[in-house]
Amino acid sequence: MKLNQNINYIVSGLERSGTSMLMQILHAGGAPMAYDHDSRPPDDSNPKGYFELEGGKVITRLMEGNFTLDKHQGEFIKITAYGLKFLPEGRYKIIYSERNIDEILDSMEKMARIRDDSREETRDSFIKLNEMIRELIQKRSDIEPLFISYNKILESPEENINRIYEFIDSEELDLEKMRACVDKSLYRNRRN
Amino acid sequence: MDKETKTVAIPISLVNQIEKKLKDSTFNSVEDYVADVLSKHLGVESKPESSFSEDDEEKVKARLKALGYMD
Repeated sequence: MKLNQNINYIVSGLERSGTSMLMQILHAGGAPMAYDHDSRPPDDSNPKGYFELEGGKVITRLMEGNFTLDKHQGEFIKITAYGLKFLPEGRYKIIYSERNIDEILDSMEKMARIRDDSREETRDSFIKLNEMIRELIQKRSDIEPLFISYNKILESPEENINRIYEFIDSEELDLEKMRACVDKSLYRNRRN
Repeated sequence: MDKETKTVAIPISLVNQIEKKLKDSTFNSVEDYVADVLSKHLGVESKPESSFSEDDEEKVKARLKALGYMD
C-alpha cells in the first residue's frame, strides 16, 4: 500500500508509552514503515521488537540536524517524544501514544535495570516533557497529531484502532489485522 | 499546571457528561478535563518551554541515555 509521499508519518510518545505496540499494529495493517531490528533486537522488554531506526538514536541525529526525513516520506518511522522538539519544518502526521506515567517509569527502570532514587523528580520532568511536546505538536501548523492512549487501546482496541485507521485515511490498510494485533498479554507493569 | 489544588463543587450532571467524554479523549480524569477547559476559557497560557526547564531536560537526557536512546 502507499501513503501520501509528501508526508512524514511518525509514531511517537514517551519511551515505554506503547510506541512499539502502535508500530506493530500499523505493520500488521500493511502500513509502509522503516525500521531495523538489528540495532536494537527484540528482548524481554519488547518481545515483538522495537520497530526503531538506528536503535532509536534518531534523536541524536535530529539534534545534530543530519537525519534525512525526506527519505522517509510516505512511511511510518518511530521518533520518541523528545526528538519531536527538533523536527524541522515539513509536513507531518503524528500518532502520539500516552500511558499512565507510573507504568512508563516502572517499565523504563526495568528496561534500564536501574532503581531511581529520585523517582518523583524524574516523574515531574517526564510529565513536563510530555506536556511540552503535546502543546508543540498541537500548535505547529505543519503537524497533524492524533493522541492515543495505550491504556485505552488495551481496554477497547476496536474503538481506538478505528481512530488510527480514520486518521491515516487509507482504505488499503487492513483494519481486521490491525485489531487482531493487540496483544493484551504484553500489558505488563500495569498500575490500577 | 500548579501542583497545589483546591476542591470545587460542580453539578453531578456535568460530571456525568464529562465522564462520557473521557472515553474519547486522552484525559485521565474529570479533574484533568476540567482544568484544561477552564485554562482555555480563562486564556491561561501555559508556557511549556519555560516549565520544561534545563534541569528537567538534563534529567530526561540522562534517562534516555540509560535506555540507549541517545549517545
